[in-house]
Amino acid sequence: MPRGELRTLNLPIADELAGRSGIRPRVRPDECAKYAIADEVPKLVFSPRTASEAAKTISLLAHEGASIVIRGAGTKQSRPPAPVGVDAVLDTARCMGVMEYEPADLTVTVAAGTPLADLQAALRLRRQFLPVDPPFAAEATIGGLLSARSAGALRQHYGSPRDQVLGMRVCLSDGSVAFTGAKVVKSVAGYDIAKLFVGAYGTLGFIAEVTLKVAPLPAEQLTVLATIARVEDACACASSIASSALFPMATALLDAGSGSLVRTLVPSGAPAWMLAVRCGGSPAGVRAIADGVTRLFRTAGAQAIEMLDVDRHASAWSDIAELAGGSAHPSQRWLVCKIACLPTEVASICTAAGALPAAAHVVAHPTAGVVFVHIDARDEHPRRAALELERSCSGPHRTVEYLAAPLELCRELRQPLPSGAPLLLARRVKAALDPSGTFDPGRLAGGI
Amino acid sequence: MKAGLFERLVGVVGSDHATMRAGDLANYQYDGSADRATPRAVVMPASTAEVAAVVRACVECDCPFVARGAGTGLSGGAVPEGGAVVISMARMCNILEIDPDNRLAVVEPGVVNAHITNAVKHLGLQFVPDPSSQAVCTIGGNIAENSGGLHCLAYGVTSHHVLGCEIVTPQGDIAWLGGKTADAPGYDLLGVFIGSEGTLGIATKVVVKLTPVRQATRTLLAVYDDLAAASLTVSEIVAAGIIPAALEMMDRLSVQAIEEFVHAGFPTDAAAVLIIEVEGLPESALEAAVAVRDLCARCGAREVREARDTAERERIWLGRKSAFGAMGRLSKSYYVADGVIPRTKLPEVLAAVERIGAEYDLRIANVFHAGDGNLHPLIAFDDRKEGDYDKTVAAAADILRHCVKAGGSISGEHGIGIEKRDCMTLQYGDADLRLMANLKAAFNPAALCNPAKIFPTKRTCGESGRLQAAVPQAADARLVSEPAF
Ligand SMILES: Cc1cc2nc3c(=O)[nH]c(=O)nc-3n(C[C@H](O)[C@H](O)[C@H](O)COP(=O)(O)OP(=O)(O)OC[C@H]3O[C@@H](n4cnc5c(N)ncnc54)[C@H](O)[C@@H]3O)c2cc1C
Repeated sequence: MPRGELRTLNLPIADELAGRSGIRPRVRPDECAKYAIADEVPKLVFSPRTASEAAKTISLLAHEGASIVIRGAGTKQSRPPAPVGVDAVLDTARCMGVMEYEPADLTVTVAAGTPLADLQAALRLRRQFLPVDPPFAAEATIGGLLSARSAGALRQHYGSPRDQVLGMRVCLSDGSVAFTGAKVVKSVAGYDIAKLFVGAYGTLGFIAEVTLKVAPLPAEQLTVLATIARVEDACACASSIASSALFPMATALLDAGSGSLVRTLVPSGAPAWMLAVRCGGSPAGVRAIADGVTRLFRTAGAQAIEMLDVDRHASAWSDIAELAGGSAHPSQRWLVCKIACLPTEVASICTAAGALPAAAHVVAHPTAGVVFVHIDARDEHPRRAALELERSCSGPHRTVEYLAAPLELCRELRQPLPSGAPLLLARRVKAALDPSGTFDPGRLAGGI
Repeated sequence: MKAGLFERLVGVVGSDHATMRAGDLANYQYDGSADRATPRAVVMPASTAEVAAVVRACVECDCPFVARGAGTGLSGGAVPEGGAVVISMARMCNILEIDPDNRLAVVEPGVVNAHITNAVKHLGLQFVPDPSSQAVCTIGGNIAENSGGLHCLAYGVTSHHVLGCEIVTPQGDIAWLGGKTADAPGYDLLGVFIGSEGTLGIATKVVVKLTPVRQATRTLLAVYDDLAAASLTVSEIVAAGIIPAALEMMDRLSVQAIEEFVHAGFPTDAAAVLIIEVEGLPESALEAAVAVRDLCARCGAREVREARDTAERERIWLGRKSAFGAMGRLSKSYYVADGVIPRTKLPEVLAAVERIGAEYDLRIANVFHAGDGNLHPLIAFDDRKEGDYDKTVAAAADILRHCVKAGGSISGEHGIGIEKRDCMTLQYGDADLRLMANLKAAFNPAALCNPAKIFPTKRTCGESGRLQAAVPQAADARLVSEPAF
């Protein structure tokens, strides 16, 4: 099924929606234009404040046969495939705020439209944080980053965003509001359905609220950085750090082009791979980790080893996160591909990216086995380069996903279907949770 | 049994690995919980293909089936209610691959939890989840129950340490959920499979993450004359930004039981004892230990001592891990509840547990994962005493009510199974349960794969209704006899 196949939506429904749920949807094309998904202007936009308001509207729209695209800050809406039409957009902007927070329990419950930046600010006051560092950190909403399973380099120590999710309140297309999981750090009471919503890109239902596990902010952080000429050596070095007892917070690998875009760093000498390791802990602990990392850097033959102090450190990691997601590049220029592979395969994927028939940049989380390849879309053959990349990355357990593309490419590209993907089960799950096919049908690979 | 099913099963696994003999079947009526049921047959497949063929045969004969690991489950997950065919994982116990460079291992589901760490220790690696039963329980069971352990405060539970599973679906198809790499696009079916108590399929291969062993470990024992002061310490440590690797609590009754059993060196006159373990590089472990010591003292600990060497450390942990076994000595039988609460609610909920014990006139010992707020009230009862079991179940239900009221959960790591299925309505409403039922139907439409577990029946929570097995139990039949851990 093509994504977002336009259904027949009769617009007088807006009055009925207003009467039933108390929120008046926007239907004027000029108002709706702001919420366009890949240039497709929705016919109707609604902005619920609560789960129950959302549920009422969802059920009515589903009953009318409309499809619904959920939109947080809109930072992931350039992910292929582009929709061929959008009936309704659920805008999560008004569904926001920290609902429950008890620092000593390390749990927080937030409405899904809450910007990550707001949540982090609230947690910082109690010296805690949500240990995720996705791209678009300034705009992204909690619901959006979970739906897109958007992980940064902090995943090395803290796991990916799915690992922080404890419970969720979701609105389904049958109009029900269900809670899944729990609000405590551990629970095996019934199925952990919240996990399904992480990475579902809004195709199963609307995440209205989510309970997350938070972490104490390390008392101190610093970053050790070095350049290494050969990517194989850089990856081997990253691996030796990950296999050591040092337990740094994060590791990122950048090619020379990406490295030169990290603002606080002055490129030194010949172009080379850059390896950055983020350390956190108590004042004495963090020095010990950094010393250990430095020793392993030396063993790997790294040059220009440098330690970043607090200020440069923070801005460097924010740049690295944005580079991985493609958001630090001038907009609409890059086709952003994410490749998941074994950590030992990262070097060869990086090399393959360098040999593509189009200019490309690479940022990787080498210890997690994730490589982001940015293909210059102004190049003559971005699509050919993408297919070439797909081909060179194919292999057991490896996956390729397109995270973002300029509009024309978005219309042409299909998400590659991972070989051996459990499509049958995935289809059945979609049919069980969203039997009316209301939530952004066709958005995921395999037409789900 | 449907005509011909047993012959088909024998055809798949061979006659040495399938049985219908009453004496054999009696060994599979149990797990670590109180419910019993007799299976129709027991089969022991040796490969994924055999598991798939067994499942297909069962499906074609419309016969329920259930996977079984070591049978240490504490909620009846592996109990073959309704005469299900038991598919034992005992022969699928090989470690297939160890990949230190990618810090992962591929294992069969019948591999015993501790065997993974034993096999990779020489590489400086470990498999982190460490349930107290780790010397016998299997990785398949761990996945089904999303098991926790003594060190999940800092490292998380099973789901944080599993990258992928090959499963045989309830229809008998083979599928991979996740794999060796992160973030497979599409729905996180692995995430929902873990913790599904064997109702969504049978895991036949598991890719586990391996984690480097920390350089320094410091184990402290804090002794209290007041239970509430010990509870307060737990929240204060976490609020101070320290996440110990383990933070366990034992109250007076459990300390006394343990001391009688293994002599771990715990003071038997204390109201509560905390075991606090901090890890890291030597510098940070030392700093954390100093900070913890200070917090314990400030919260009113009578004494804080640190294990001086590995032997002393191991003795402390042996004491903790023997708690359930020790309770088995103290009374004829005991019942483990498994509620979770926000850790800041420990003082009030522990007080409620004490009240409930008095109200029902039952002895309740608390030995639990305090850092996670995961209570394990052990309720002592005498099975030969008329009505004692019923009273116990009612008391456990009251405890769970308090946990839910405090914002918690009715199970932290033992699962719902048979034992707590009628308590699900304490925590979940109709819409929540319907969502779960829909999800189950997507995987397991014929409901033959471990049927009847998790979902409420017509009874209410706390109403006793223990399943009884038809075949009389042989005295030595329990797979889990005196736990040696
Ligand atoms: C003394 C004692 C201490 C314990 N301590 C802890 C603890 O600290 N933390 C903790 O979390 N638990 C603990 N437990 C509970 C228990 O050990 C765990 O739940 C364990 O994971 C069960 O593993 P098992 O192999 O014994 O599984 P079983 O009891 O055989 O089965 C449990 C469930 O797993 C399913 N299953 C088994 N294999 C598979 C498979 N291959 N695929 C799909 N489903 C499967 C079964 O159908 C069943 O539903 C303890 C139990 C005892 C007796």
